[in-house]
Amino acid sequence: MAELLLDTNIRFWVVLPIVFITFFVGIIRHYVSLLLSSQKKVDLQKVSDGQVLMRSKLLRENGKYLPKRSFQMRKHYFNDEETGFFKTQNREPAMQNPMADPSMLTEMMKGNLTNILPMIVIGGWINWTFSGFVITKVPFPLTLRFKPMLQRGVELASLDASWVSSASWYFLNVFGLRSVYSLILGENNAADQTRLMQQQMAQPMAMAPDPAKAFKAEWETLEIVDHKWMLANVEDELIGNTPYPSDVYVKNKYQ
Amino acid sequence: MVLYGPVWSDWVRYDVRDKLRKWREDKVRNSTETAELGEYLLANYRRKLGDEVWPLFEQVSIASLDCGKLSLARLCIHAVREQFPQSSRSKRLHGMLEEAEGDFESAKETYEEILKGDPANGLVMKRLVAIHKGKNDIPSAIKELNKYIASFMSDSEAWMELAELYIQEQDYSKAAFCFEELILYNPHHHLYHQRYAEILYTQGGIDNLEIARKYFAQAVKLNSNNIRALYGMLLCAYHIASSSKSTAKKKTENTKYASWAKVQLDYKYKQSEPKDEEVLGEMFDRLAITSGN
Repeated sequence: MAELLLDTNIRFWVVLPIVFITFFVGIIRHYVSLLLSSQKKVDLQKVSDGQVLMRSKLLRENGKYLPKRSFQMRKHYFNDEETGFFKTQNREPAMQNPMADPSMLTEMMKGNLTNILPMIVIGGWINWTFSGFVITKVPFPLTLRFKPMLQRGVELASLDASWVSSASWYFLNVFGLRSVYSLILGENNAADQTRLMQQQMAQPMAMAPDPAKAFKAEWETLEIVDHKWMLANVEDELIGNTPYPSDVYVKNKYQ
Repeated sequence: MVLYGPVWSDWVRYDVRDKLRKWREDKVRNSTETAELGEYLLANYRRKLGDEVWPLFEQVSIASLDCGKLSLARLCIHAVREQFPQSSRSKRLHGMLEEAEGDFESAKETYEEILKGDPANGLVMKRLVAIHKGKNDIPSAIKELNKYIASFMSDSEAWMELAELYIQEQDYSKAAFCFEELILYNPHHHLYHQRYAEILYTQGGIDNLEIARKYFAQAVKLNSNNIRALYGMLLCAYHIASSSKSTAKKKTENTKYASWAKVQLDYKYKQSEPKDEEVLGEMFDRLAITSGN
């Protein structure tokens, strides 16, 4: 475990500048994306579909408070073989392929441009500028596999993998300053790259087959729901065996 | 005039501004106060409010339309339209002003223009319904609202409005349907159960009365201070018990429920207004309800 003594100049002229650079680039990215962002067009069909699904879900959950006939009426409206809503509404599967859909393509390009590109560019520049020395030591031990990744430019076979170079400090900052951004720019800011990456991973699942598949799934769940009326014995419950302590005045049990 | 620091008028200004901001965020609709305070603020401190002046304009314009202060509304809306000519929000305000002035035709045109550009704008669709209501044309208001609900099924306020319109038209079965939707969305709200039961009671018929009694009982179960539901339960049970078509078993059951409800009401009235007991007693005698049977 070699203990290195680093030049204090490194602290002032490398560590802190990288923090500032990352921070300001993030702020700039946020405002640039605000300028470039286009107004999202709300599709009435999509909104309406979402609401229908919500209504069906509520029917499933709270249907037991309705009289049997009303529940059956609504279930029939949704699920009937010939005329039910979930059966007759055929939704076209929305464009999944981003190459074919022009508006989604520009959206993706803009997203890439404002986020990934600066990260790569600045990462490369920092790597080039601050090369040839280690910056800091991470507090936990790392295996040797991490050495080529974290120690660019420092070709020392015997150096601990915990000593990292400037590029890894830059990436550490990118992820670490997320909470600072949310403090300063408020939630949902565009400087938050990790959220964007999560979105990009989650998108293929959330989009296209949504209407048709969701309808089918909802049809199945609604089909199996049985109506057990909650109110069947409510008066007896009220009168007989539920004495609310202070409110209900029960003189004596009814014979 | 601010000389060396905050002066009394400044504190008043901050106070007023904060109050209006809080009302805006909580969507409170104290129209008369909002209009007065907003007028004061906008007349004297317009420049010092900065960017906050625009939502404030919107808030004050809606409040002044509520109070009928059309001149103030015209001022605010004109200012907003000059600043944001393309915005659907400012166009909607302009449409509301036209409605308030009574010019329903041009208001309708304004709204339809907005919808052409933005077909999913629920607020504007609701304004179209309001136009029909303003003209007192309830059937077309119902038709328009049905169109809105077909797209936005989970909007419980819309269902509530539709129920009110149906009740006005005395179409009780459809109003009952709307209230069933409301119960679906808020199954533990005692007032929805109570009103649903009232609609069923109004429709009449032994089956409806039985269901109504159950819903009144549920309302009492959810909120034991709901006197109206207790009365409802009493009357339903009494009517079923005294109807010629009920079996003996039903009669005994219902007299049991009715007398229980009477006992509850007695107790509640005793708790609050002891001197009303006589009146209550007379009323019950007239209904010929006796306790236990």
